[in-house]
Amino acid sequence: MDLGSILANLQLGLQACLLIKWIPDPFFGVLIPIPINLFWCLMGAVIGTAIGVLPGVGPVATMALLLPVTYFLTPEGALIMLAGIYYGSQYGGSTTAILVNLPGEASSVVTALDGYQMARQGRAGPALAIAALGSFFAGTVATVAIVLAAPPLTKLAQQFTPADYCSLMILGLVFAIVLARGSVINAIGAIFLGMLLGLVGTDVNTGNARFTFGIQDLFDGIGFVPVAMGVFGIAEIIANMTNVDRRDLVSSKVSGLWPTREDFRRSIAPVLRGTFLGGLLGILPGGGAILASFSSYSVEKKLSKTPEKFGTGMIEGVAGPESANNAAAQTSFIPMLTLGIPSNAVMAMMIGGMMVHGIVPGPQIMEQKPGLFWGMIVSMWIGNLMLVVLNLPLIGIWVRMLLVPYRLLAIAILFFCCIGVYSLNNSANEVLIIAIFGLFGYVLIRLGCEPAPLLMGFLLGPMMEVYMRRAMLISRGDPWVFVISPLSAMFLLIAALMLLFILLPTIRKSREKAFQEA
Amino acid sequence: MRFKSSQDIAAGMMFVGIGALALYISADYNMGSARSPGTGVLPRILSWCLIGTGVLVWIKAFLADGPSLGLAGWAWRPVIMVTVATVAFALHVDSLGLVPTMVLAMTIAALGTPETRWVEYTLFCLLMLVVGWGMFIYALGMPIPVWPGKIPDWIVAVRSLLKGGQ
Repeated sequence: MDLGSILANLQLGLQACLLIKWIPDPFFGVLIPIPINLFWCLMGAVIGTAIGVLPGVGPVATMALLLPVTYFLTPEGALIMLAGIYYGSQYGGSTTAILVNLPGEASSVVTALDGYQMARQGRAGPALAIAALGSFFAGTVATVAIVLAAPPLTKLAQQFTPADYCSLMILGLVFAIVLARGSVINAIGAIFLGMLLGLVGTDVNTGNARFTFGIQDLFDGIGFVPVAMGVFGIAEIIANMTNVDRRDLVSSKVSGLWPTREDFRRSIAPVLRGTFLGGLLGILPGGGAILASFSSYSVEKKLSKTPEKFGTGMIEGVAGPESANNAAAQTSFIPMLTLGIPSNAVMAMMIGGMMVHGIVPGPQIMEQKPGLFWGMIVSMWIGNLMLVVLNLPLIGIWVRMLLVPYRLLAIAILFFCCIGVYSLNNSANEVLIIAIFGLFGYVLIRLGCEPAPLLMGFLLGPMMEVYMRRAMLISRGDPWVFVISPLSAMFLLIAALMLLFILLPTIRKSREKAFQEA
Repeated sequence: MRFKSSQDIAAGMMFVGIGALALYISADYNMGSARSPGTGVLPRILSWCLIGTGVLVWIKAFLADGPSLGLAGWAWRPVIMVTVATVAFALHVDSLGLVPTMVLAMTIAALGTPETRWVEYTLFCLLMLVVGWGMFIYALGMPIPVWPGKIPDWIVAVRSLLKGGQ
C-alpha cells in the first residue's frame, strides 16, 4: 500500500462527498447548487446528536426508522446519513450523561459517573469540551485506520472460499454471544431464533416455501426493516413508557467551555489509550461503542494513581471512555465494509440500508462502487468535524431538547415507525408485522434476551445458508471442506475456543465482573 | 426440587416451544443430498439447536438464582395500547386516510401512559399532523390518501359476517 494510492482513494472519496447537485428552489424554480452528500452528512450528524441527547431513543431504532426514508436518497447519501447517525449519537450521548446524569446512549453510561460530578462542581464546560475533542481525535485516528486497513483486508476477503465465509460468520455470531450483555445462553437462543426467522419465505435455491403458514405476504420472507423496527422501535417504546425518567438538569447554561491547561495535560494519555483500545475493540465482531467505553473506564481506573477518586469528577473518566466509544463506533465499519459482515446491530442496519438500494454487501463493493466506499469513509471525518462544531457552541440548543417529555416522543416514534414501514411497499400488512414483532421484542426483553443477537442471526442466517450450500457443492458433498481450508479451520478453532472459554465458570465470572465494574 | 428463576423457565419454554414447532413444520421439508443440501437442512439443525438451548436454560433455572418473572413488572397498559395503536394504523390507513388514522392511532397510544396531559397532547397532535402531511405527502409525495375514501376492510368483513349469520 503506497502513499499515492491512499491519496488517490481519499481524493475519490472527497469528490463523492463534495458532489454538487443543482436543485430548483421551490418558489421560482431557479437552480441552486447544493452539495447533496455533505447535506445528508450534516443531517445524519444533527439527527444523531439529537437522538444521542435524548435518553430512550437509540441509534439502532433511529436507523431502522429512517431506512424507508433513505429509499428516496441516492445510495451514497443514504449510507453517509446512516453512518452519521451512529457516530453522531456518540457525541450527543455524552451531553446528557454529563449534564443530567442519564446516559443518552448505552455507550455513555460510564461517562455519567465522573462527568456528572464534574458538572455538579461547575465544570460541565470542560467535561463537555474534553468529551467532544477526545471524540474528534479518536474519530480522526479511526478514519485513518479504516483508510489503511480497508484495501488489504478487502484483498484478503476476495480470496475467501464459501467455506471460509461460512466459518467466519459462525465466528462472528460466537463473538456476538461472548460480548453480549446479559445471559450467554439466552443470547445463543436469540441467535438461533433470529436465524430461523430469517429462513421464513421461499428458499432461494430450491424454490420451496418455508414456515410461511400459507400466508401470501410471507412468501418473500419477513423484511429486515419491519423486524428491526418492531424489536428495536416498538418494543423499546413499550419498555420505556413505564419508566418515568426524572431529569435533574444541573443547569441549562454552560459557562466556561474551555478546559484548563491542567485538564488537557491529564486528558492526553486517557484519550490516546481510549482511542487505541476502542479502535481495537470496534473491529471485533460483536464489539462496538458500548464495550469500548466500559473497558476504557476500567483501564483508566486501574492505571490511575488515585483510583479511589474515580466517580468524584475525574476528567480521565470522561476523556478515556468518550474517545474509546467514538473510535469503536468508527472502526466497527471495517468488517462491514470489507467483508460484508455486520459486527453489531448498528452495522446490521447499515447492511439493511445497502439492501434497500439493492447493493450486495461484501468485498466487491470497494472495486465496484469506489465512490460510495471512499465517499462514506471521507464523510466520516467531515461528519466528525461538523459534530465538534454542532456540539460545542450549540450545546444550549441540545440541552433544551431534553424538555421534550418522553410521553410525546414515544408517540412520535410510533407514528414514524408505522408510516415508515407502510411506505416501503405501500402495504398495510407490513405495519401489522411491526405490531407483532414489537410485542415479541417486548416479551424477549422481559425474558432476559437481548434483541441485538436476534437481529444478527436474522441477517446472517440466510447468508450462511447460501455459503454453506456453495461450499458443499464445490466440495462435492464433503463436509470436511470446512476443516481442510486453513482459514476456515482457523475461524472455527477460534470460535470453538471462545465458546469453551465462556462456558468455563471461572472465566464467566470474570466476564460478569468486567461488565459490572465501571 | 424447586426452580430458582421463573424468568429462565419461561425463556426456556419459549425456546423449546418455538424449536419444537419449527421442527414439526419442517418435518416434511426436503433434505436433499450432501452435495446439494435441501430446503430442510438448516431449519432442522436450527430447530434442534434451539431446543437444546432451551433445555440448557431450564437446567440453569434450577441451578442458579435469577430474576423472577412477576406479572406485576409487565407494562400491560403500554403493551396493549401501543400494539392496538399500531394495528389501528394498519387497518385504517388505506381506507380512512392519513389524517384520521394518525389522530386515531396517536390517541390510542397516548392512552398507553397515565402521564398524558390532554391539552399538551392536542397541540402535539396538531403539530404531528402538519409534520406528517408535510413530510410524507407534500415533500416525499407518497401515494397515501389523506382523507377517508372508503369503508375499512375489517368493517366490511364484520358486516358480511353478521349478515351471513342472520
